[in-house]
Amino acid sequence: MALPLPPGLTHAEVAFLCEMELVTVVPRQRLESIKLLSGTTTPLRPPHRADLPLWLALLLKKQRRANIVPPPWLHPASLRDLIHRETKIDPEKFSAPPPPPARADRSRPGQSRGLYSSAVADSTAFSPPFLHSCTAAAPSGYLPYHWLEMAETLLSHAADDMPAPAGEIRGLVRDLVEVRAAKMRAGIGQAGILGGEDGGFLDLTGVGAVELAENRGFVLGVVDGVRKIGASAEASRREEEEMGGAEEEDDEDMGI
Amino acid sequence: MSYYDIDEILTEAEKIPCTFQLDVPDLGYLDNNPSAPLKAGTDVSLPLWLAELLALPAQGTDDGRAFATIELPSPLSQEVFQALKADPRAVPLRDQSAHFYSLATRMLDLFDEKELTAVLRKTFAVRAGEIALHARKGVTGAGGGTAEDKASNLGVGGAGEEFLRGLDEWERRLFRKAHDGCKAGKEWMDGVKKH
Repeated sequence: MALPLPPGLTHAEVAFLCEMELVTVVPRQRLESIKLLSGTTTPLRPPHRADLPLWLALLLKKQRRANIVPPPWLHPASLRDLIHRETKIDPEKFSAPPPPPARADRSRPGQSRGLYSSAVADSTAFSPPFLHSCTAAAPSGYLPYHWLEMAETLLSHAADDMPAPAGEIRGLVRDLVEVRAAKMRAGIGQAGILGGEDGGFLDLTGVGAVELAENRGFVLGVVDGVRKIGASAEASRREEEEMGGAEEEDDEDMGI
Repeated sequence: MSYYDIDEILTEAEKIPCTFQLDVPDLGYLDNNPSAPLKAGTDVSLPLWLAELLALPAQGTDDGRAFATIELPSPLSQEVFQALKADPRAVPLRDQSAHFYSLATRMLDLFDEKELTAVLRKTFAVRAGEIALHARKGVTGAGGGTAEDKASNLGVGGAGEEFLRGLDEWERRLFRKAHDGCKAGKEWMDGVKKH
């Protein structure tokens, strides 16, 4: 027993990573840009909005030097819409993650292209953790990867900046958590019943970091158990395949 | 599966019904009759580790017959599997064997039973979902959860406790993992305000 921690990130680590997400603040005081390892921050000029990392925004918020603008997906209407979508419209899947930012393409009217596609490999090429999914410009109705951490942190530290009473938003967030946890349980059960042969799998697209941290041990345990139960059947199936391997190869050649 | 895995060792100690195919001298004590040789056709219960070796076809003998034939032990009997097929959640697996799945996979290595594998997999998956539910309820209920949680009949007491008592070792481990995950989540959520 070298390290008593389970595999994967713990909740605290996930929440720490979340603090790198950019959020929009409305500064109350001027602040020159700060040189950080991750780059320089935008200079703060009240009342212009600026995007800052969450940890800095929280620091300024605690010192009453700035107000945080909650991301649009944290508005009650957006959350209600998400709960409705998760329970009624598409009760099988998790709601999709935010789409990659796109910009209108001048050469093809009516079309758009990815803002951070490989062609534009300059300083604005962000990888998913640094996509602006928690700023005021983020689309509503989509949950980003760090949604639960961001929601909890903002609700407890910037409750007065929320567009609705914090209790109401917190209730909606809890509902969403429960809905998605139930979905995770049902999904992994269903995947286990179907097993490997019939394509039993659980689609984890859109699942947040905290949810992954919470369910990692359980889901891995289920998958491992199903694998062990099917191990002997799998071995015999492979043997059969090896026996009939020559014929199958012929078939494949015909197919090609 | 390490050599020192205590669950593995305990699984191998489970008794398997065997029928001897040959007369074996000096093994009469297995049938509580130390003075006589063990007759062919005698039914004895032997631990899995011994039964497995005896049931493998002997190498080097002329007819290649095994010393003994083995049958599925009572935890894996037809009745149990019928009950599992009907409702996996209603069967206390621990009453059958504390190492039910472990024993079942070992036996399925020896018997090639596709149907049993399918039933077993379905049982495990369905019960896993139930385990996760109980693990989550246990956390929210204990920490002074909402009224909704307390009103639910899946609380720690009652039917839930009955189900949890019937978990075998694999499922207990699974419950522990699910519970640890939920607990860590709750602790983190409670601690967000403090830092």
